[in-house]
Amino acid sequence: MSTPAMSVLAGAGYRIRRQVKTGLTHLAAWGTIFILALPVLYALVMSTLSFQEAYRFPPSLVPGRHLLANLQEAWVHINMGRLLFNSTVVAVAVAVGKMVLSVLAAFAFTYFGDFRGKWLFFGLILITHMLPLPVRIVPTFELITRLGWADTYWALTVPFFASATGTLLFRQFFLTVPHALADAARIDGAGPMRFLVSILLPLSRTNLAALFMVEFIYAWNEYLWPLVATSSDRMRVVQIGIKTLLASEAQAAEWNVVMAGAMISIVPPLLVLLLLQGAFVKGFALQQEK
Amino acid sequence: MPSRFPSRILPYLLLAPSVLIVVVFLVVPSIQSLYLSFFQTSPFGDRMIFVGLRNFTRLFRSAEYLNAFWVTLIAALIVVGVGLAASLLCAVLANQRIRGSHLYRTLMIWPYALSPAVAGTIWALLWHPTAGWLPYAIQALGGPSLNWMTSGNLALVVVSLAATWKMLGYNVIFFLAGLQGVPRELEEAAEVDGATPFRRFIHITLPFLSPTALFLLIMNSLYAFFEIFGLVDVMTKGGPGRATDILVYKLWRDGFVNLQTGLAAAESIILFVVVAILTVLQFRFVGQRVFYQ
Amino acid sequence: MTRRLVRAFLLAVVLVGLLGPAAAAQIEVQFWHSMSGAAGRALNDLVERFNASQSEYRVHAQFSGSYAEALTRAIAALRTGQAPNILQVYEVGTQTMLDSGAIIPVYELAESRGGIDFGDISRPIFNYYAVDGKLYSMPFNSSTAMLYYNKDIFRKAGLDPNRPPTTFDEVLEMGRQIVASGAAPHAISFGWPAWVFEQAHATHNQFYANNANGRAGRATEVLFNGPFGVEVVTHWRRWAEEGVFVYGGREYSANQAFISGQIAMLIQSTSSLASIEEAANFEVGTTFLPRLEGYPRGNSVIGGASLWVLKGQSERELDGVWEFFKFINRTENAVAWHQGTGYFPVTNSAVKTLLDSGWFAENPNSLTAFLQILTGSDHPAAQGVLLGQFVEIRDIVDTALEDALNGRVPVQRALDQAAARVNQVLADYALLYQ
Repeated sequence: MSTPAMSVLAGAGYRIRRQVKTGLTHLAAWGTIFILALPVLYALVMSTLSFQEAYRFPPSLVPGRHLLANLQEAWVHINMGRLLFNSTVVAVAVAVGKMVLSVLAAFAFTYFGDFRGKWLFFGLILITHMLPLPVRIVPTFELITRLGWADTYWALTVPFFASATGTLLFRQFFLTVPHALADAARIDGAGPMRFLVSILLPLSRTNLAALFMVEFIYAWNEYLWPLVATSSDRMRVVQIGIKTLLASEAQAAEWNVVMAGAMISIVPPLLVLLLLQGAFVKGFALQQEK
Repeated sequence: MPSRFPSRILPYLLLAPSVLIVVVFLVVPSIQSLYLSFFQTSPFGDRMIFVGLRNFTRLFRSAEYLNAFWVTLIAALIVVGVGLAASLLCAVLANQRIRGSHLYRTLMIWPYALSPAVAGTIWALLWHPTAGWLPYAIQALGGPSLNWMTSGNLALVVVSLAATWKMLGYNVIFFLAGLQGVPRELEEAAEVDGATPFRRFIHITLPFLSPTALFLLIMNSLYAFFEIFGLVDVMTKGGPGRATDILVYKLWRDGFVNLQTGLAAAESIILFVVVAILTVLQFRFVGQRVFYQ
Repeated sequence: MTRRLVRAFLLAVVLVGLLGPAAAAQIEVQFWHSMSGAAGRALNDLVERFNASQSEYRVHAQFSGSYAEALTRAIAALRTGQAPNILQVYEVGTQTMLDSGAIIPVYELAESRGGIDFGDISRPIFNYYAVDGKLYSMPFNSSTAMLYYNKDIFRKAGLDPNRPPTTFDEVLEMGRQIVASGAAPHAISFGWPAWVFEQAHATHNQFYANNANGRAGRATEVLFNGPFGVEVVTHWRRWAEEGVFVYGGREYSANQAFISGQIAMLIQSTSSLASIEEAANFEVGTTFLPRLEGYPRGNSVIGGASLWVLKGQSERELDGVWEFFKFINRTENAVAWHQGTGYFPVTNSAVKTLLDSGWFAENPNSLTAFLQILTGSDHPAAQGVLLGQFVEIRDIVDTALEDALNGRVPVQRALDQAAARVNQVLADYALLYQ
């Protein structure tokens, strides 16, 4: 019973349904994003209010005009400059350290055949996956104290330089690199290190960026270890600084200032995420599917 | 077989830094934890008595420790259950073939950059009985007046939700990647066959997503057990009345506040057993796809 | 131009040469503390004044986190010879420090060096940190508990703002009136419940633990689940049931409720006085802790922290430490410390100076706690209990009190269970020191 008119109508109906479906999907997506971001949006609004406005009832969703004042207060109150500096040093050092050690280790595991102890060392590095900080926190704390590293950058960085994830990531990647490249390098008389630096590393850019992103964010956000390993104002990191902003005995917390401080602390890892998220998706997530 | 460079010493040199750090800072202290767990120590560490398995038996008979286990389990359940479901939804939305899905992806994964401490701070504000917006909104909509700082159950739920929220970005990334691995032909064929989107999802998408889902299940469990100390310390410090006293928080308190390092070491070892189980599961069910070609 | 440069350079060299030895000979004294906020500022001020007053020693005050954190770090640092010279330790750490084998008792320093009149130190504070009459740590920031109340709410409820409750019964009566009149949703709350429970024992001369509260010998058993303890908590439970009492958390969270007028009365440390007076937009009154009738008079317990001298220092460093202690105890410094922080003026001379200058007349609330401890007895039960693992024990008691006050567990059972756990902790601890 379908006449040309009806099929045109059906076609139009289909298109409309498709458009509605697309529209709804956009709506759902934006709705989800909004709900997801709601806590931070509220925090942002809070960081623009004054202390009285912060406690006004009902709570206000309208931004105020005290953002700069709050940022300044937060900055000065906990010496944010120093905190950011410390966190940056630690996060960059840990990320780079993990990159270097992982690449070297993965290279050793991939391009040198079966040497004695290879699988022992491989297992050793993998086993770190099973040894998160809480499993060894007391003796590690005593160790760094004995080394004289308490309250220094050493304590916050060196113990984290090895990476099971990174080593596995690069080994996985190296295994996919065509043999021809390495063979050609050997024939040309190039040493392994030259091969690594001139050929493998450039190829690994995506994975390097992915690992950097993950480890930078991880190190920037560390809380328990800096809490235990450092104590002075000089060595404090941003995360502990936020806790300091919050902690006040008899007074009500100055949420407006706290949120301003929190916003500052988010900026560096957020930047890193935004810049490198593409690499992360390609380098990490898609690896899971292979 | 990949190429082989002939050097005999170089592999050892390349591995030396990693192995050295692993042994010195991870393996040896872990073994020391085991050793320490059999002792009772004085606060200043100047005296140690061997007590065998007493620390462990005490823990398993201690209502406080069992509470910590229970609390952590509930938090993990919420983080995994709510987290995976919500992030799957987000991933599906971001995966639709519509314009701007790349932007959507970015806008959904950015919470990954947040630290547990900051996430906790923000949620503590959101739920604050006087300065927070949520209790007000809930009451305005006719709900009860909620003070999460006095209700233990509510506190645990709020803490768990805060932890879940922070991990959504991470989960979305992996689910998106997983969704992109679902063969489009199968989906389209099913669509042509008249299967509803729902049935297509259940019968085609989900099976392809199961490795990713399993991977995320384990990562989220590890996260709930080991990574939310900062969140708890900032929001509740284990309270009210131990309602949010997760295992790692109790460990830190026993080791660094009460100075019972032997007991804390015993708790460390029990946590090791937990992570060992999770890791073995991961390698068995997920690892095969990832680590061996 | 070059000649001027050379001359400047030579001058610099000479100056460095002159100052160098002096600078090199200056002894550094490391002082780890946990004072932040206003107290932190007052402490830094004190240290700067000390350093400016002489050039032989330089005290370096380092904020090291909370009391618990600072102690943990100091213990770790001790093992590597990097411990500070002076460590501020909370009062609950007293037994731990006494058992540590890592301290130099203050009385030993006094014997060899002299210059501080221990007789001038306020008696209750001295007694807290002394064993057998010998002072082990230097009192520094001491506080106690008192009853704060909101005079405006009292007026609104039809109560006399200058007649706060004296007894438990009066708290209940007045509390009922306050709640019934709608002047405030609840009448009273506490900070630090376990501490307030200890205070209740001490103010009524009841032993909290055996062996004279751990001062005649190591305490092996607690007594707080006896008839007295049960009676106190039963009263509190009745207050809670009637809505007169509301639970306020384990530390300072109840302060917020008091400041915002949700409760009319607050039992809290005197160290909160300054911040409460500043934040409150009502008239703040203070008075002694309420008493149970029928029990003898004791005294309120000292809280806060004191300064301990750690082993492993050179004689010259100890000289520096001692000079700093002398400086702290000087009247003008003790006065400034009290005025800047609200902690007790440690010496009686300081009290007299504050009195003479009219300080207490202008700040009557500062006098309340002091009068309370000075008018109490110094019976052993009133001196404060010494327990190993005290932090953990307070934790256990806090949990029991929470359960009892929330009606989850009957009072006697909650206290019995807590006592059993605490006794186990004490027994384990005692094993270490056999």
